[in-house]
Amino acid sequence: MNVTKIDEKYLVSTFYVFFLIHASQTGIGMLNFQRLVAQYTEQDAWISVIIMGLSTHLIVWMIYKMLLPSYDILAIHDLCLGRILGKVISTGLVLYFLLMSVVVYRTYIEIIQLWIFPWISTWELGLFIGFIIYYFVSGGFRKLTGLAFFGVVLPSILFFTLYFPLRYAHLDNLIPILNHSFIDILKSSKSASLVFVGFETLVVYHPYIKNPEKSKKWAHIALLYTTFLYVVITLVTLVYYSQGQLQETLWPTLSMTKIIELPFIERFEYIFIFTWFLVILPTVCIPIWSCTRLLKKMYKMRPKLSLPCLMIFIYIVSIFIENQAMVDTLGNLTNELSFYFVFLYIPVLFFLFSIRRRLTNR
Amino acid sequence: MFRKQNHKNKLIRNIDGFLIQASKSSDFKTLHLDKPNIELFFFSTLIDEETLNHFLLLPLQEHSPFENINDVIKYIPISEIHLCSENPEQAGEKIRKGHILIRLKSDNTNFALVNVKNGKRGLRESNDTENEFSVVGPKLGFIEDIETNMKLLRQQFSGSKLIFEELTMGSMTTTRVVIGYIEDITNSEHVNTVRQRLRDLDLDFVESALIDQTISDHSNTPFPLFLSTERVDRVTYTLLLGQVIIICDGSPYVITGPSTFFDFFISPEDYYLPWIVGSFFRIIRLFGVFFSVFATPLYVAILTHHYVIIPKDLLGPIIESRVNVPFPPFLEVIFLEITIELLREAGARLPTKVGQTLGIVGGIVIGQASVEAALSSNVLLIIVALSALASFTTPIFKMANTIRLLRFPLVLLAAGWGGFGIIAGFTLMLGHLMRLKSFGTPYLAPIYPFRITDFKDGFIRSPFRYTTTRPSFLRPQKKRRYQVNEGKDEFDDE
Repeated sequence: MNVTKIDEKYLVSTFYVFFLIHASQTGIGMLNFQRLVAQYTEQDAWISVIIMGLSTHLIVWMIYKMLLPSYDILAIHDLCLGRILGKVISTGLVLYFLLMSVVVYRTYIEIIQLWIFPWISTWELGLFIGFIIYYFVSGGFRKLTGLAFFGVVLPSILFFTLYFPLRYAHLDNLIPILNHSFIDILKSSKSASLVFVGFETLVVYHPYIKNPEKSKKWAHIALLYTTFLYVVITLVTLVYYSQGQLQETLWPTLSMTKIIELPFIERFEYIFIFTWFLVILPTVCIPIWSCTRLLKKMYKMRPKLSLPCLMIFIYIVSIFIENQAMVDTLGNLTNELSFYFVFLYIPVLFFLFSIRRRLTNR
Repeated sequence: MFRKQNHKNKLIRNIDGFLIQASKSSDFKTLHLDKPNIELFFFSTLIDEETLNHFLLLPLQEHSPFENINDVIKYIPISEIHLCSENPEQAGEKIRKGHILIRLKSDNTNFALVNVKNGKRGLRESNDTENEFSVVGPKLGFIEDIETNMKLLRQQFSGSKLIFEELTMGSMTTTRVVIGYIEDITNSEHVNTVRQRLRDLDLDFVESALIDQTISDHSNTPFPLFLSTERVDRVTYTLLLGQVIIICDGSPYVITGPSTFFDFFISPEDYYLPWIVGSFFRIIRLFGVFFSVFATPLYVAILTHHYVIIPKDLLGPIIESRVNVPFPPFLEVIFLEITIELLREAGARLPTKVGQTLGIVGGIVIGQASVEAALSSNVLLIIVALSALASFTTPIFKMANTIRLLRFPLVLLAAGWGGFGIIAGFTLMLGHLMRLKSFGTPYLAPIYPFRITDFKDGFIRSPFRYTTTRPSFLRPQKKRRYQVNEGKDEFDDE
């Protein structure tokens, strides 16, 4: 069995689960998810966001049901799928986490190239960001938790910038309420999933939580907070843009911040993008750390060896993604994958797990 | 790195060995007296000649001759006299500390050691705080003499709770080093860590700043991991909170630990002023740090890469002031920053009065001239001067140095990648700070690990009514400092 207890000094306090979950959910998607969500439901987009948010609670509930003390995904795979199939799927999981971090990493570089430095080359910026990622991941899980903490606390000041677009709000943009079919709303919900996923790394770092039983509460609070944040952002976007405008805007959140004017600063989106670095960093680092952890447990690969390999892999892949079209394609692919992993694979696994438990209990 | 090797000290067989060795020095004196039939051995630089003449030689001459050594010491009116016949090593040590060895000419094995130490030579008179100044509150500081320093602390504490543990360190200097803590308040883990690290240390020369660096948890960091201070009130306060102190003979700086990053921005003055004023000053200080680190990098970033974020009304004056400057902002900043650093360094090395003149010459003349010569812009001159000023608000000199250093890599990053360079540098700095530990205690506490209760005395200085508990990151044995009854402060003795 793949269950090992982690040394007490490497564990993180229970309430950091809030920051870990929230930080791994918020990322690049927050800058442009409104357009995708409003595609099918227009002014009712916020309902889809709420539905999606609530369904994540169900998933996290399932995850916690499966994760017995000091269990992680490998132990669950062992239990439900057997050794060989479990290993195959776990390896797939490593690739999935890797893909997730590549997408965020490359998209952030793309944003900087698009909005700030059109002349900067991917390899240059990628090298620099890669070094920072390496520095944090090599610090171990506790340092990542600190990063998640600062990645939530410091950028939360940006929340107040939503006040500025509200001054140009057209509240009647929101009516009529609920004039879309249920299918449309669900379709939109699926699009909204891209900003909600990311918390599934919980299945890897679960053994590192000091008191997993109590951490449930914080995980759910984190999900609730995320949902609240997204609903507010969606509502502000909906009242600020008209539907036609919104469908033409590539980065609605960034474009919204453009209107902020202060006596000493203009073009506020610069500040926004730079501070966003703190937001995306945990969403890149935590999956990479999860990869090293899985590789270590499955193939006995030392993180000292696997981390540089992973970083080089990510770096090379990101150089080969040349333009925005490719970034988008890869992003969409990952979103699909994430959706099916979180909302299809985890329930299936949960189903298998419950059967298995029931059998063994008898 | 500094691990102790097992020294094979050559044991001195008898006292004669020591005396022969010592007589190679010119200040080692031997007196062979005939009238009283005795011999005296001493370092003339260490003893008080007046005491020697009046209380030793005079009475001895009156009462001679002597039968044995017990006879001799009967007539010496000095309290600290040791009679010994063996343990020559300890005797040698005593002579080195200002004792006089007396023995009869006829008897080589029995001798007496008399303390005629000259305590005053080489010590300064005043013990004002010189480098950590405060307007309100006591101005008492430590000096180079360990006895005085221990006395200053001992007389503050009631009872016997304050524990001093003495170690002798240094292979060549044999310096006295004292660990101080308060029993049943300070976590014994901290004391054990300090004791162990000091014992493992092998240095030929011991000084408090050296100890500070060699026992620290991380050696590759610009940040000071322990707070060293010359203020008595500050050390008293840290002891009360449950920290350990290290006093080292020959150094007016006392090391206190475990320290956190925010300890360095606390001034004892905060506690002597009303809490609102004290908090305001503390916030100003923290703002000063922020400004001092980020102001010039932001200037470089904005003027090199992001001039679009300046509103057009502000853009006018900035362009006007820079219109004749031929250099890119990066060179302009480096030029001025290095000028300021040179001024500071020269001011620190020169005698006080010359230093003041230099400050005026440098600050006004060079600054003004460089603007007129179009080597730098007015706006930058203001920013650089302000950020230099802001860095001096940090109460602990070591930290102020670090703060000034931090802006240089940031300026470099800002020149390369603009605002992104700054945020990346900031993130790296944060990551570095998260890794640091001081005696095993997280350096960034109470922010990370986050402890809301410790914020009461963090960014602001809350009223004494609310700071009744010791900070939890120090894991003190007793949490409560004092009890508060109906708004009136009452110290709880338990």
